[in-house]
Amino acid sequence: IEGWIILVSGVHEEAQEDDLHNAFGEFGEIKNLHLNLDRRTGFVKGYALIEYEKFEEAKNAISTMDGTELLTQTINVDWAFSNGPSTGAFKRKNLRFVSINMLLSLG
Amino acid sequence: MAAEEDSGEFYLRYYVGHKGKFGHEFLEFEFRPDGKLRYANNSNYKNDTMIRKEVFLTPAVLKECRRIITESEIMKEDDNNWPEPDRVGRQELEIVMGNEHISFTTSKIGSLVDVQSSKDPEGLRIFYYLVQVRFEVLCILSYLTPLQDQAYLKNE
Repeated sequence: IEGWIILVSGVHEEAQEDDLHNAFGEFGEIKNLHLNLDRRTGFVKGYALIEYEKFEEAKNAISTMDGTELLTQTINVDWAFSNGPSTGAFKRKNLRFVSINMLLSLG
Repeated sequence: MAAEEDSGEFYLRYYVGHKGKFGHEFLEFEFRPDGKLRYANNSNYKNDTMIRKEVFLTPAVLKECRRIITESEIMKEDDNNWPEPDRVGRQELEIVMGNEHISFTTSKIGSLVDVQSSKDPEGLRIFYYLVQVRFEVLCILSYLTPLQDQAYLKNE
């Protein structure tokens, strides 16, 4: 990955690319913007991916825009990709074991 | 049900493929609980390259995936009345989300016409639209370069 990619979630279903450019363009040049549509409804899926060239630009966008309002709706902004595994409640090495376990517990 | 979105296990695997004139052509991706997204695309058409990509996604991305899956209500469906895989191809979708687990197998779906004429148009429609997100996953993956040094895994 060359640039720095952030995830914006909670995007209003009628948002347009321009709305995101306006809100996020001030942090740096937007190299790429993905605002995917829900093919069933025609509205926005609810998230956008924005790529900046520089780390500082993306970081500023995250810290400034996370939890703010865009088109009357609160958005969350965070990194999209990370360096390694996230430590969650479940840390198992053998994934298949987990799936079978789930099946057995469902009865 | 809302609690499932934010806690517990999350795993998703999607496969679409067929075996034909050009060998086993398929696309598969896997969202693992630790955030790793694995992608493989194999076709023997014209050359023998298997493309593999891997990246770690943040919890923010996984949370959004869970939201989309929950909203689709796919976890409430079952594939009992869905068309069986055939020579045209096969799709597999497996999702673990909290305490729920689904594992669907069906044929390729060409269009909404196939959905409407099936025995379970309502359920199959949900599946059809949900797997449209594979195009979005491919979009995300277009940011990544293939793992050149894992070409040897093609022989798995």
